[in-house]
Order: sequence, then C-alpha cells, then structure tokens
Amino acid sequence: MVRLITHNLLACHVRGCNSNNFPLQFQDVQIGLREAEFNPDFLRGFLPKIEWNALVDSARQLGDTSLPAEQPVMIDDDFLKTLHHVLLEIHVEEGAMVCPNCKHVYPISNGIPNMLLADHEIG
Amino acid sequence: MPSDVTTVSVSGNPDEYEDEHVHTVYDEIAGHFSSTRYKPWPIIAQFISSLPAGWVGLDSGTGNGKYLPLPLDRPGQLWTIGLDRSINLLRIAQTVGQKHREVVLGNVLDVPWRRGAFDYAISIATIHHLSTHERRKTAVKSLLQSISPDYGRALIYVWAMEQDSLSKRIIPGGQQTGETQVVTDKDKRGVDVFVPWVLKEPSSNRSNIPARHTSHQGTSPLTIMHESSAKAFNRFYHMFAAGELEQLVIEAAEDMNIQLGPKSTDSSINAGVSGIAVVQSGWERSNYYIELQRWRI
Ligand SMILES: [Zn+2]
Repeated sequence: MVRLITHNLLACHVRGCNSNNFPLQFQDVQIGLREAEFNPDFLRGFLPKIEWNALVDSARQLGDTSLPAEQPVMIDDDFLKTLHHVLLEIHVEEGAMVCPNCKHVYPISNGIPNMLLADHEIG
Repeated sequence: MPSDVTTVSVSGNPDEYEDEHVHTVYDEIAGHFSSTRYKPWPIIAQFISSLPAGWVGLDSGTGNGKYLPLPLDRPGQLWTIGLDRSINLLRIAQTVGQKHREVVLGNVLDVPWRRGAFDYAISIATIHHLSTHERRKTAVKSLLQSISPDYGRALIYVWAMEQDSLSKRIIPGGQQTGETQVVTDKDKRGVDVFVPWVLKEPSSNRSNIPARHTSHQGTSPLTIMHESSAKAFNRFYHMFAAGELEQLVIEAAEDMNIQLGPKSTDSSINAGVSGIAVVQSGWERSNYYIELQRWRI
C-alpha cells in the first residue's frame, strides 16, 4: 500500500534530480480507507521526523483536510488520532506519483508503488 | 556427492544477469519460496526488539516480508517498510501477518528516499544476490544513505562460504569439509554459485503427464516422477568469505567520505565530522552479519 507514512519518505531518484524532488505529487489516484490499530507511542516517536508541510499538502491532494497547517505545540489524543488516520488509514491503491522537479512518473498499481528506473535514469 | 551448489562465472551485463538469475527466479518461485520462509533469525529479531517506539525502518530486499511484523511483542510501535525487486514476493509481503504492510517495488542499488529519512535499515539475505563486488558495495552505500547520518542503525546479513555443519549444502571451496581455505587480507573474495530451487508443479497437473517407461536404464520411477513434475531454477549467489562483508563496509565508508570506527570523543575534532561504528559482526547459522550505527559530531 502507499500510505502517507511511506509517501513522506519517498523521493525522486532520477539521475541529477537532487533538488525539489520531494514530495512526489499524487495523480489520478484511487484510494481506500481501512482501519488500523491506533498506537500513540509510535506516533509520538515518529512525529518529530515527519516532513510536516509535505504531509499536509499530500493529505489535501487525497481529499483530507483534517491536519492543521502548523504542527501543534500541545500533543493530545485527538490530534494523534487525526494524525493516525492520515498516516495509516488512507491507502492509495492505484494512480501515480509525479516528481515536482523532473516530472518523472512513478506508477502505483494494486497498492504497490513502482520506484524502478530505466538504466539511463539511474543516479 | 550432492551436486546441489555449483560455481559459476558471471559475465555480461550485471543488470540483465541478475534479472535472469535472481529477479525472474523469485517471481516464479514466490509462493513456494514464501511457504518455507517464516522464522526470523535470532540476531535480527533481537536487533528490531532493541529499537525505540516511533522508529521507521527500511527492509531492503524484504522478500516475503517476514521481518515487517517485528517486534512481535509490541506490534505497531515501529514501522518497517519493505523494498524488493520481485513483485510477486511483494504481493505476499503486502499482507504478511494478516495486516496491511507498506511495500515498495525497487532496486536495492537505488535510494528512492529522502536521504537519511529512516531511523534504521536491515538488509537480510539480499546483497549476496548482486553479481559484482562494485554492486554489492553500492547496495551497502545505498543502505547507509537511507538512514539518519546522526544515529541511524543498520544490520546486514549475507550467506557465508563457511557453512553450518547442519546445513545440507556442500559448497565448492567452502570450509564445511574441514579443509581450511586460505583467505588473505587482500583477497577477501567469496565464490559465485548457482543454488537450485526445485519447484514442484501442483499434483493436479501430474495426471496429464504421460507415464514413462520405468525400466529405463539406471532411472528409478521416483526420478522420473521428479523430472516430470518439477522444475529447477538456478538462483545466483555470491557466497561471502570471512572478512568480506567488513571490507565492503570499509570501502563504502571511504566512498562516502565518512570515518569508520566508534564516535570520536576528541573535542578538537571539527563539527560536522561523520562516521560509522561497527556495533557487532560475526557468523550465525551459515551467514555473516554486521551491525552498524552512523554518528555525526
Ligand atoms: Zn525527479
């Protein structure tokens, strides 16, 4: 599955594409919602490492506007539940991710993103 | 003598070579292979158990994803994302342990991630499928570039020439027979081999196979059955020599221009110096492993 937890880590790796290569932009996506187990310990630990702006923008591309534009100072359970839903319960099943810089298209099929490149594109 | 494992010499384009002798094979045998691979090795389970809640990791060459559900005693406290070159293995990994996992189709030579985005990375029984020394070094570099330069931890596991006495395999040039193979410091090179995977076709197909004449010279009915209902795939492996995995890490650190050794306590060292420490390395059950941690001042 491509959930936003993974999307927040992926970047374009085409040869020479070293800046503005993150976050990849979703295109023509089909999404599915699936409940996942809520784990506040995981979320608290992961939170400082999230690229926040990328997460907020990408969630909006998937039609979810529940995250605040700025990371809140006070971390309560309500916020963690919202974060949990955005990171772990929205599954991108089909579609593509496009590099904002070089426009390379990484297809997503049956929930699996294809990050393989052709020989001449490898960095 | 069992002719199980045979030495090979790698030639041609390594990408195409690995496509034919690794990726295609795993795509063909995925289901059967996966049914035989379910027990995590102890050192790997211990490594994952030692990681704090909230860490996110990469399993580079995840195969059927058997490490993705770890740690079993505190599920969901970590997220390990699986990368593999075999789409059919990934389809199995996608729901391993009856939960949805995160998997990515990719090559272990590449870094399709924000640099340093992961807290940890594991590469288990994967780098030995790469067909040149240079490519194995690149895979180690890519793994190290995926983890945090400040504290990222990594564990690498590869198949050893030195095989467990319990192992059924006989390795050409290996040490199982008790003959000591001399490996000099300059030549920590293992051996390139094919390891067959025999895929039995579903028994329902067998009825369609015409019966063969069983009195054929020197061939038992059992062998004929075997021949007619099974297909063997040769998987490429580079079996590592003692010290060879450490050597790869030394060369990877040199290429990345980072120090190899424990974090320096010398206060005169300039800020920004970065390095990689070997936490432990050794041999376990026919495999060599090395655990690493990156550091930066
Ligand atoms: Zn790009």
